[in-house]
Amino acid sequence: MEQAPLDPERQLQPAPLEPLGSPDAGLGAAVGKEAEGAGEESSGVDTMTHNNFWLKKIEISVSEAEKRTGRNAMNMQETYTAYLIETRSVEHTDGQSVLTDSLWRRYSEFELLRSYLLVYYPHIVVPPLPEKWAEFVWHKLSADNMDPDFVERRRIGLENFLLRIASHPILCRDKIFYLFLTQVFFFYLADSRLKALNATFRVKNPDKRFTDLKHYSDELQSVISHLLRVRARVADRLYGVYKVHGNYGRVFSEWSAIEKEMGDGLQSAGHHMDVYASSIDDILEDEEHYADQLKEYLFYAEALRAVCRKHELMQYDLEMAAQDLASKKQQCEELVTGTVRTFSLKGMTTKLFGQETPEQREARIKVLEEQINEGEQQLKSKNLEGREFVKNAWADIERFKEQKNRDLKEALISYAVMQISMCKKGIQVWTNAKECFSKM
Amino acid sequence: LPGSPPDALPSTGPHSLRDMPHPLAGSSSEEAVGGDSTPSPDLLMARSFGDKDLILPNGGTPAGTSSPASSSSLLNRLQLDDDIDGETRDLFVIVDDPKKHVCTMETYITYRITTKSTRVEFDLPEYSVRRRYQDFDWLRSKLEESQPTHLIPPLPEKFVVKGVVDRFSEEFVETRRKALDKFLKRITDHPVLSFNEHFNIFLTAKDLNAYKKQGIALLTRMGESVKHVTGGYKLRTRPLEFAAIGDYLDTFALKLGTIDRIAQRIIKEEIEYLVELREYGPVYSTWSALEGELAEPLEGVSACIGNCSTALEELTDDMTEDFLPVLREYILYSDSMKSVLKKRDQVQAEYEAKLEAVALRKEDRPKVPADVEKCQDRMECFNADLKADMERWQNNKRQDFRQLLMGMADKNIQYYEKCLMAWESIIPLLQEKQEAK
Repeated sequence: MEQAPLDPERQLQPAPLEPLGSPDAGLGAAVGKEAEGAGEESSGVDTMTHNNFWLKKIEISVSEAEKRTGRNAMNMQETYTAYLIETRSVEHTDGQSVLTDSLWRRYSEFELLRSYLLVYYPHIVVPPLPEKWAEFVWHKLSADNMDPDFVERRRIGLENFLLRIASHPILCRDKIFYLFLTQVFFFYLADSRLKALNATFRVKNPDKRFTDLKHYSDELQSVISHLLRVRARVADRLYGVYKVHGNYGRVFSEWSAIEKEMGDGLQSAGHHMDVYASSIDDILEDEEHYADQLKEYLFYAEALRAVCRKHELMQYDLEMAAQDLASKKQQCEELVTGTVRTFSLKGMTTKLFGQETPEQREARIKVLEEQINEGEQQLKSKNLEGREFVKNAWADIERFKEQKNRDLKEALISYAVMQISMCKKGIQVWTNAKECFSKM
Repeated sequence: LPGSPPDALPSTGPHSLRDMPHPLAGSSSEEAVGGDSTPSPDLLMARSFGDKDLILPNGGTPAGTSSPASSSSLLNRLQLDDDIDGETRDLFVIVDDPKKHVCTMETYITYRITTKSTRVEFDLPEYSVRRRYQDFDWLRSKLEESQPTHLIPPLPEKFVVKGVVDRFSEEFVETRRKALDKFLKRITDHPVLSFNEHFNIFLTAKDLNAYKKQGIALLTRMGESVKHVTGGYKLRTRPLEFAAIGDYLDTFALKLGTIDRIAQRIIKEEIEYLVELREYGPVYSTWSALEGELAEPLEGVSACIGNCSTALEELTDDMTEDFLPVLREYILYSDSMKSVLKKRDQVQAEYEAKLEAVALRKEDRPKVPADVEKCQDRMECFNADLKADMERWQNNKRQDFRQLLMGMADKNIQYYEKCLMAWESIIPLLQEKQEAK
């Protein structure tokens, strides 16, 4: 689904009826092909890498509702209702369904999904959500959001909402919809796309590949930051676990002092507990190397984004130049033919204060023709520049992708190796301790 | 059994020898567990008798069936006194099959007590009765009363803070069952306590409440005499060996308390670690959704972390259910032992005071020497009983802690082995396409 490099002539035509930064227009290509490889030809990002998700029939249900308490953005306690979304894939042969995904979402997440769909599919009638608060209630019904009947009706309404999206020929293919059903942390992916939309220049004919790549780099940044934050918390907790075991060393030693036969076993076991407690320092230091590798790609994502931005700027610049040229051409035409189609201040003043002389008109036409010539030259060179840029940028992006895949795979392997080593050390220490205990 | 009147404890009554399997055979011909062939009774199989016959209220699997430590520990407990007393065991008691009873006034749990014995004190070779915690508590007080010179094993804590602990949860009931089972086994192993009349009735009576109401005071001779020992006499010198026991118990209880706090802290840290892990794994999954070639490797890492999280949860559950309760039990044990030591001191003090009184009086009335003799007799019996019990206690303590700590090590080893397996299995997945390139 590559777009041909943009042509000044084409720019005057209305943009094709495609949503801005359309996600997964590439899906048509992915379906029927194996997912790997099919993805790489556009941006390697948006096409479904989870094979043939839509070829199988899927069943979606909002099966349960549960009251929850949590902390909101202001760190205040709040009560809300969470809904369980279950996705089942139906096997063709026996009609049996298998549960493939299940997760809990609250109403505000449904709202986010709908906001996203409204923005990205402006020409589509997006199915509505059930009401947020109980309105239009007749006096017997409660207006309380926690009322079980209200919750039940809402559950049905939310299920209906999802089913309508799933049965819509265009909306059902949306990637963010897919993530809503399957990924716990879909929030910032959708949110970052919405934000990105607001921040874009009004580029009329965006290159889909670059738009997709920009989304990818934003999302990559978000997910790696999140990963690094949680990893740091995990490391912190793990440190605590190991260090507390060190206390056993001392108390076993003290206890062994009052024991006769048990003493030696306790004492030596205590020593192993000390070894265990101190082993965490090296382990966590090694893990920092992994964190560094992730950080590098966090910053790389920023660089990727910069390339996309540059392209956007060039595109915008090109469009402005073309627009300017087109308006000058029109002005010229009007002066030559004497018809006034466009509004111009000069035209207005001329009407008010009297016609200009043929000599004045000739002079203006001459100036415009010069400007038009200049403009056409500039546009040509800008277009050339643009095409060169796209060619070179895309080559480097492909190179970058391969490097990234290589590097991150290496990083994951070395992380796994670190974990394996940690487990083996743990087994060793506890086996030694067990040996000591057996001698008690 | 809903609807049964709270007073009458249902009892399935005595069974014939043929129907019930030998306790050490490990197989089961009972209804609920299902149809293995019965090996001959003299085959001592290293399988846990108790665990196989467990029928839990929700049909869950009994905890500890997978751990080798628990089956060997049960076997150990059954065999406990073989070496010490050199006599063949003739009394077996087991606590299992917890059931919830819902009545209008209250809800409570009963446990099945199965007794097998060839002792003459038992009319039948087999008994099966149901008892609740209250009944165990009654038994313990009766034992303390009637056998004051002996160390009575502790019961699990009586009161639980409502709202914090669910008294009817599978875990709580199972932990309690194990503690009650241990309590009865310790009494069974005791050469004096196991012959106590109250104990016998506890194991055999169909209607324990009726018996309780009769208020029969079956005090032993010692019990009767110690009961009347008044405090208020000051002890002159505590014999070295009892002073040493007292000091030992003080330090012991202190160290156990510290270990309990450390263990609780470890569990708390592990749970907090688990909470973070449960957020960590899914982030890899989210990342995988953005990628092409990296999707599978990332998803694999996510699943791997998920497996480690599950293993960690199992570790913390095991430590909470199996490790902490036993520690607490021993702390309670040493507390009750300290009070027996105090009582011993009182008996000695009374004797010494009376002796001194006689020496001062210089009379020779026949009544007084007999009185003093009684005191001396009482004191010497007490000392002898206590010494014997201490020795037994020390031996059992050593066995119990050996098993407890080995069990702790085992659980940690198993945890790391599960994690190791998960990470090792993912390496080929991560390496896959690289070679293909």
